[in-house]
Amino acid sequence: MADPRKLPQVLYIADSDESRALVGRLLSDKYVVLEAANPLDGIQLAEDTHPNLILLDNNLPQITGNEAATRLRKVVPNTAIVIISGDLSDGARERALAAGAVGFIPKPIDDDFVPQVDAYLNGRVEKLEQPELHLQAYQQELAEKFEGTIRQLTTTLERNKYLLQQNQRMVDMLERRHRLLETAARVGQLVTSILDLDDLLKYTVDIICSEFNFYYSGIFLRSDDGKWAVLRAGYGAAGHKMMETNHRLPLDDRSMIGNAILKQQAQIASDAAGEVSRFKNPYLPDTRSEMALPLVAKSEALGALTVQSDKLNAFSEEDITSLQVMADHIAIALSNAQLLDKLANANAELLRTKTFEAIATATGEAIHWVGNKAAPIPGSIKRVREDLNYLLALIGQLDESAWENASLRAAVETVKEEAEMSGLDLKAILDEMSAMKPNRLSALVSVESLIEDLDIAENSAKVILDIKEGLIGPARQRNDAAVSLREMITNTVENMGLPGGVVEMEWSDDMPHAHVDARQVEQVFNNLIKNAWEAMADTPEPKICVHGRCDDDPNFVLVTVKDNGPGIPKEIQEKIWVSFFTTKGGSGGTGLGLSSVMQIVNQHGGKIDLESEAGKGAMFSVRLPVEKTNQGG
Amino acid sequence: MTTVLLVDDEKLILRSLEKTLLRAGFDVLTAADCKNGSETFAQNVGDVNIAVLDLNMPGFDGIPKTGAGLDLLDELKKQKADLPVVILTAYDEVSRAKDAVSRGASAFFVKGREQGLVELIQKILG
Repeated sequence: MADPRKLPQVLYIADSDESRALVGRLLSDKYVVLEAANPLDGIQLAEDTHPNLILLDNNLPQITGNEAATRLRKVVPNTAIVIISGDLSDGARERALAAGAVGFIPKPIDDDFVPQVDAYLNGRVEKLEQPELHLQAYQQELAEKFEGTIRQLTTTLERNKYLLQQNQRMVDMLERRHRLLETAARVGQLVTSILDLDDLLKYTVDIICSEFNFYYSGIFLRSDDGKWAVLRAGYGAAGHKMMETNHRLPLDDRSMIGNAILKQQAQIASDAAGEVSRFKNPYLPDTRSEMALPLVAKSEALGALTVQSDKLNAFSEEDITSLQVMADHIAIALSNAQLLDKLANANAELLRTKTFEAIATATGEAIHWVGNKAAPIPGSIKRVREDLNYLLALIGQLDESAWENASLRAAVETVKEEAEMSGLDLKAILDEMSAMKPNRLSALVSVESLIEDLDIAENSAKVILDIKEGLIGPARQRNDAAVSLREMITNTVENMGLPGGVVEMEWSDDMPHAHVDARQVEQVFNNLIKNAWEAMADTPEPKICVHGRCDDDPNFVLVTVKDNGPGIPKEIQEKIWVSFFTTKGGSGGTGLGLSSVMQIVNQHGGKIDLESEAGKGAMFSVRLPVEKTNQGG
Repeated sequence: MTTVLLVDDEKLILRSLEKTLLRAGFDVLTAADCKNGSETFAQNVGDVNIAVLDLNMPGFDGIPKTGAGLDLLDELKKQKADLPVVILTAYDEVSRAKDAVSRGASAFFVKGREQGLVELIQKILG
């Protein structure tokens, strides 16, 4: 076999596999056969390889063989092109030659195929009679073909344009829907993050207008009496104006807002001008379409959202859907705010009741205490008065006239005169005294008794003043300094003289000093330990545990005072802090202990807490500020 | 001579009432709690004509107790059934003091005008 590289190359372009197989078989002995299944590949291949001969099947996809021939003439001008065609009609051969082929082999391919190829390879060129005529025919064919192609292209182009538009619309719609839902979600988030309802509503109308590009948006809420829809937020300058003028609409069927609330149904006017039930708002002259969405929570319409556009038919399905989502979020927020309001009211009510109770208790107790302590005073004073009368009666018996000291004389004279002037019948008193037995008289005219009665009155007054002190004592000027609570409380406990083993103390080594007024804070622990001890009167093995350490918050020292007494029942745990509240009956403390303890701790910037359950003892936790400069101890 | 047993834990009230009663011509025995009061009474059963007991004071165990005076009332009545007893109260405990009357006390007296107690005792003892 000859060297294939030296054999002439023949390119065969045909879309039929059978044709290519047949031609390949027929020519492969003598030539290198290149194949292409469509004219575009074929043209490319021809350009790349510059074959010696190109055989072109006329029946090709995309373009005809003739067209391909014309193109190939330009691409490879030196290569001979032969058309192989089943088209045996008049002029087919001529049109092929006119298109630029050197020859025309009619199908089917038969025995003389190879010799014909040989001939063309060797330079055979078929001559065309009257070439202008056939060229014209060929051009005609081409023109028709082009026309068809252009028609097809135009249709395709239009179809593409339409599809493109459709796509763009879809993309726009998706984008808008995405943004709307995002906006709705943002309002949903705001519902939980903006606690102030007015802020939330204002933000919502702003977001609706900025994100949805609407002309105006506003939110109305149903008034408490159910007669009005009151504007609570409005967009832009118009909204501002309306808020300023307390814009509201009657809750009836004459406005879209009214209808939305009453019917709990979205009201949509695509052409606002044609809407009968619509309030024509002078602040919003450009509204062309409008909708009102009810704010419904728990099947109650709390208000309505208005959205207005300066375009007709402004609201798409998506707009309505996402705006309704937003409206639902707002409704939930409104419902929550209302709940919160109710809760706050209930809380305030409770607080009022508690305060009244506390004041009543405190006032009652205060009167009880002061009354009790003051009880002996009138009795003592009455006796002092009696004693004074007796003594004056005795002074009346003095004969001062012989006294040398003029001052003393004058004093006795004055006493006698004044006694008479104040209506005392000294003589009658003296008669009464004279009638008494000596031992009774000496019991009555007793300086000792006189002084004792003054003492009783004085001491009673002092107790009352002590109560006052207990009430306002904590308000006195403090002298804060570094105090070792460990030392102080240990001393306090020692001085209290409780039975041994009752108080157990535990101190952390790293407990810092407290920065407090030593005298006041000593009162705090004295009171707490005393209270614990007194509460455990019926406890078989009374124990008071005092535990001091650094608080979890390093700014505080924590001391707990815990007893194993009867505990403090839940129902009085709040009252124990109230002045004059006491569980100790008539003769216990003043009822000021815990109230002043709390005052002192609070004034130091500390905190006192109680943990207790009836039957399980009580534990007071006292947190006091740490001494910053001098740590340790 | 009329002897009064006076029991109250408030020292100043006790002494003041004692003096008022003494001046009115009574003999007065005093005690500051239930236990002491009961003992003092037991030692002087024959002499005591009337007892004046505070409503709230330390009970028999020495621990302050609301209404301890009523316990002492019961105890004294056990020792001497026909003993007249007056219960002392603060002005705001009158309702409880009235209970005392239903438990056998002759009367209750609201602390304040001490001369009133003298008059009350004189009235009870005829």
